[in-house]
Amino acid sequence: MKRHQIPFLLGIPATLLSALALAHDPSLHKKGEAPDCAAMKGMDQAEMDMNDPVMQAMMQQCMKDLHHGQETEKSSVQPRENAEQDPRKQSDQR
Amino acid sequence: MRTIKSLASLVIFLLILGTAYLFSGLYPIGADVPHNGFTHWLLETLRERSIERASEDIVLPGDLDRPNRLLAGGADYNDMCAGCHLKPGRDESDFSIGLYPKPPNLTQEAHDEREEAAREYFWVIKHGIKASGMPAWGPTHDDERIWSMVAFLLKLPELTPAQYQILTARTKNTTHQH
Repeated sequence: MKRHQIPFLLGIPATLLSALALAHDPSLHKKGEAPDCAAMKGMDQAEMDMNDPVMQAMMQQCMKDLHHGQETEKSSVQPRENAEQDPRKQSDQR
Repeated sequence: MRTIKSLASLVIFLLILGTAYLFSGLYPIGADVPHNGFTHWLLETLRERSIERASEDIVLPGDLDRPNRLLAGGADYNDMCAGCHLKPGRDESDFSIGLYPKPPNLTQEAHDEREEAAREYFWVIKHGIKASGMPAWGPTHDDERIWSMVAFLLKLPELTPAQYQILTARTKNTTHQH
């Protein structure tokens, strides 16, 4: 075997190995569907067992979504509350 | 002396017969024809005993219940395993129907001995099982990542389809934070 062939012959398995390692990097797994946190919104928080690791993991996944949901709810509830206090605003909104 | 000779002749005869059968090509090797009872028992026992012995000294990490493990393991399970081993609300897939031996439905596995189940899951995921379609994930996945899959598998039979969907969705939470 000629000496200059050695780097090439070593390079092929090295390239394949590095490609294999890259393919199994979690960040390179395709992003699938987002967590469907709607199911959590309907749950009674008093009944949730916060010590359950499954519940904790679900909360972690849906934290952003739940907070966003609460904020949206607040912003949609706020004008109605204000409107109840001020009948003029209520008529304006209609 | 006569008995020994007869016994030796019988063994030699059986060996010749076995070898002839082996090379004849008569054994139905297609995955759509199940093994006969004896071969099935033989392979099943061989597999079960081998896994049991090989995994008995594996030491479990103390944090298998950590939520981050469930998220990391769940996403990997969904990507790498659910096609064969199914997910809540799904009884079969093309792989679970077509593979032989049939891959176990891990959403219905009961874990009487949680630690033993965890050790065996870890070993099987890491080393795979010969001639079963179960690959060895060890060469491409480190132990921490495999333990996260084990953590998820231990919880999998309790999950509803909605919980499964949330836990297995790959988000930035599912990257490893060990």
